[in-house]
Amino acid sequence: MPVFKTPFNGYSIKFSPFYESRLAVATSQNFGILGNGRLHVIDLSPAPLGPAAPHQPITELIAYDTADGVYDVAWSESHDSLLVAAIADGSVKLYDVALPPASNPLRSLHEHTREVSSADYNPTRRDSFLTSSWDDTVKLWTVDRPASVRTFKEHAYCVYSAVWNPRHADVFASASGDCTLRVWDVREPGSTMIIPAHELEILACDWNKYDDCCISTASVDKSIKVWDVRSIRVPISVLNGHSYAVRKIKFSPHRQSLMMSCSYDMSVCLWDYMMEDALVARYDHHTEFVVGVDMSVLVEGLLASTGWDELAYVWQHGTDPRAP
Amino acid sequence: MAMRELVTGGAACAVPGSSSSANPFGALANALIGSSSKTQERLKEIPQSTPTASEQQFYPDAHGHLQQLPGSEFEQPFMQPGTQSSDFLRNFNSVDGNRLLDNAWDEIQISQPPPMHVPQLDRIYDLGAAPQLQPTLDGPPQRVLSSFLHSFVESSRGGMPFRPAPLPVLGLSAGDKRCIRDRTSIMARHFFADKSEDFINGQVNALLSSLDIESDVNSKGPLPARFRELEDYWNESQAIMKPGAHATEGWVTEFNQHRVDHGDPNAWAHSFERQHGANGWASEFEQEQSQLMSADHMRGVNMANLAAMEQTRMLANTLAQNDDPKFQKSRFLQFVSKMSRGELIIDDNQVKPATSSASGDWAGEYQQQYNAGPNWADEYARGELSHGPNQWANEFASEQEQHGSVDDQWVNQFSKLHVDDWAEEFGNQVGEGILGDTSADTWANAYDEYLNEQVASKQHSDASRGVYVFSDMNPYVGHPNPLKEGQDMFHKGLLSEAVLALEAEVLKNPENAEGWRLLGIAHAENDDDQQAIAAMMRAQEADPTNLEVLLALGVSHTNELEQAAALKYLYGWLRHHQKYGVLARPELSDSLYYADVARLFNEAAQMSPEDADVHIVLGVLYNLSREYDKAIESFRLALKLKPQDYSLWNKLGATQANSVQSADAILAYQQALDLKPNYVRAWANMGISYANQGMYEDSIRYYVRALTMNPKADNGWQYLRISLSCASRNDMLEACDSRNLDVLQKEFPL
Repeated sequence: MPVFKTPFNGYSIKFSPFYESRLAVATSQNFGILGNGRLHVIDLSPAPLGPAAPHQPITELIAYDTADGVYDVAWSESHDSLLVAAIADGSVKLYDVALPPASNPLRSLHEHTREVSSADYNPTRRDSFLTSSWDDTVKLWTVDRPASVRTFKEHAYCVYSAVWNPRHADVFASASGDCTLRVWDVREPGSTMIIPAHELEILACDWNKYDDCCISTASVDKSIKVWDVRSIRVPISVLNGHSYAVRKIKFSPHRQSLMMSCSYDMSVCLWDYMMEDALVARYDHHTEFVVGVDMSVLVEGLLASTGWDELAYVWQHGTDPRAP
Repeated sequence: MAMRELVTGGAACAVPGSSSSANPFGALANALIGSSSKTQERLKEIPQSTPTASEQQFYPDAHGHLQQLPGSEFEQPFMQPGTQSSDFLRNFNSVDGNRLLDNAWDEIQISQPPPMHVPQLDRIYDLGAAPQLQPTLDGPPQRVLSSFLHSFVESSRGGMPFRPAPLPVLGLSAGDKRCIRDRTSIMARHFFADKSEDFINGQVNALLSSLDIESDVNSKGPLPARFRELEDYWNESQAIMKPGAHATEGWVTEFNQHRVDHGDPNAWAHSFERQHGANGWASEFEQEQSQLMSADHMRGVNMANLAAMEQTRMLANTLAQNDDPKFQKSRFLQFVSKMSRGELIIDDNQVKPATSSASGDWAGEYQQQYNAGPNWADEYARGELSHGPNQWANEFASEQEQHGSVDDQWVNQFSKLHVDDWAEEFGNQVGEGILGDTSADTWANAYDEYLNEQVASKQHSDASRGVYVFSDMNPYVGHPNPLKEGQDMFHKGLLSEAVLALEAEVLKNPENAEGWRLLGIAHAENDDDQQAIAAMMRAQEADPTNLEVLLALGVSHTNELEQAAALKYLYGWLRHHQKYGVLARPELSDSLYYADVARLFNEAAQMSPEDADVHIVLGVLYNLSREYDKAIESFRLALKLKPQDYSLWNKLGATQANSVQSADAILAYQQALDLKPNYVRAWANMGISYANQGMYEDSIRYYVRALTMNPKADNGWQYLRISLSCASRNDMLEACDSRNLDVLQKEFPL
């Protein structure tokens, strides 16, 4: 079954960029309000011939426990076994799956003063990663330094997400509860662009993988907006369809205009923002808030989601995630 | 108490001897450290004996221990109040040497097992900060909470009767409480986006009070934007009491200042509480509803409980209203709701709130009262006025008077000068034959419309002109240093953002002349002279002798064709100037005549021909008298001294345009834009120049560009409309009237 039961409430799920059958799942006890966290590394057992094989049982490769909830996880783009975890106690922890359990976490970086809400590994430079935090900052780290390289403090409220541009190694965007999206160039002293993207808090953003000027935002106002950073007065597209806050947004690595979102309305949606009828598919397999989604880079159409119903699903687009 | 003490079983741990041997912490401490004389350095050398223990602890078999829940463990205060993990974090960080980590990483890189130190520390930290992991451990508060929360959820599904332990027994550490409080506060704002701030606070408070956590002033509040609801609320209630848009605006300003002082979601409530005591709200309500309730129930903690219960009831209603069966089944929402209801179970030993009970009635009444939103606010406002220490009401009243007088002045000036001069100007221009023959009729029509609109808008805007109008939604309110932010943004050319940041600054520090000045300049560059004047007037109030402010006011009034005011400020500039002050004659200031002022400045220019500023002021003055050739000469002189001053290039261009040298003007504007690409005013002026040359299609593109950068510039929309008419692009008038930049940008790309 392409479903994996986590003891705690799911917070984030990410496909490995190196192995098509491997994923990391970040979870937190008590809905992330108080308690421990656990980071799972799971494997889909060897896929049969095609990528569309539906019957993939999931096995747990290893799990790491943390003293507070794990809010996000990111795979390294340079080491196939390295993971960055964003922990609710403000720490950022690095895990190496290839090392014995006792050696992990191999680093624990304590700089954020509040919950760390996201982690994103630089896909082009491959040597650095970003974390964003409820302490209103984004921090830039490299794996070879024990302290952050830079702190970006301009947002006036929690920063829920910070994501690298897939094309430009020094450019990233951050989404904040202060209702702005900011675009940054790490070579510049401050943000290079401020987009008041929504009327309510912005919970996530992601860059288009084919158009380096295109970025999408997801907000508490239930909408997803797609922006061209060259012309930010009005969004390219506004996607309505979720009935509660939209928690994550992810562009497809395979199709330019395809996006995947999840929401507190307990659904996962696929969108094509260039289509007039933008909603491509809606998946209702979760029974609690869905807070983590990802699309596989290595297998086209392979999707993953996790939520507060303590379940992680991996399925091929077009199939029923709950199908045995 | 440091975590170290915890681990070593220091005095503050107060673990009784009988249980300390069974206490893994004690054992751990003994095994690892032995005696308390060890330094923290030793922590690095903790042998690797603990992971197995901690591993076991992670298995969630906690439910079996529920029966121990309200038990003795809490007699041993595991953590002193105020002991928080951050203490430990500091220790951890101090131990967490950089060199060590570097080594660790290097070793990993060559694929050898890293030294054990760092992970070990983490384990210890895990044990320390999350002691609930050990099932046999006595007294770890988080485990009890965890079991409590989960068994609560479990029992609700199994339909088993469940009695939560009296909550104070949980004895959460201050750190835990802060965690629950902060996280639920932030998360609730995501879940209940549609609900009001009151509702969200109510939800959070309900949960917190069930867990015996005080909602804290210092917790992470909602984002500033959320206050709009409150403002609307207030405006509504104010409007009922004091009709007139101006009163409302003054009030909003006052309220904004008031709110910045507190910077807290509950500031409103808190300030009320401060004035009326903690139960003021309740007691006021109580007065009206006293027949329903005995006073005892309303006091102290009970008050909070009742409020919490009521909020829960509201949540239940909300949930009930959502038809989606998934939501009805959501364990999380049940969890929130049941947690809140816990109070009631304890108090009345009932599973549901009894609607027939006194408290139920109270809740109902309260609900009614609550639902009657504006009335309630009204009530509060009236209460505020009649309840003694209503300083800010007085403040507001005086503020209003101030504004009132300013307005009157302004109205006088405006009515004297504005429309007439404009018409005259128009007449001149027509006379000079600027306009193409074919377009004359459409132009005249458009102009008529424009004039009518001007008259109409004058009538309602008179009251508010001269008063600075703040943006509704300002993400910079609460920013630690909005002035710096505003300056940075201004220098980057992000004018609209700079305006917001600077507004936040002057809300915070209304006496900051520099903040007001820069705000005024930002508005001027953004092609909004009215706001620029309003801001500059505040800057001048704060610092009456600031030369830059006086010059800017002179320029802005010149732009608005207000000669008397312009002369006043330009003369003021001279009078307060260190060097030229001697030239000013006090008897002049009562009745300023153009000729006198111009003569004085000419004297000043002779005194120091190398001072660009004097030439600038002269240029402005010649614009007032429409001696454009002289004005151009003055600006050219100034530009020789200050070739990098983009605003000076713009002034030159504007003057050239006024003197029918529009082709030259375009070159000057281009200079300004080369120096400052985001200079909205120069883009707009460029449009005017093209329009003056009859190149309406081109002018439209520049207007649209300027409006894209600042859609709030009303003048720009008027100009655009005229150009559209002149260019016979009536098909786009609708897009212009609806201010649809999307369509306009597509149609008229630059």
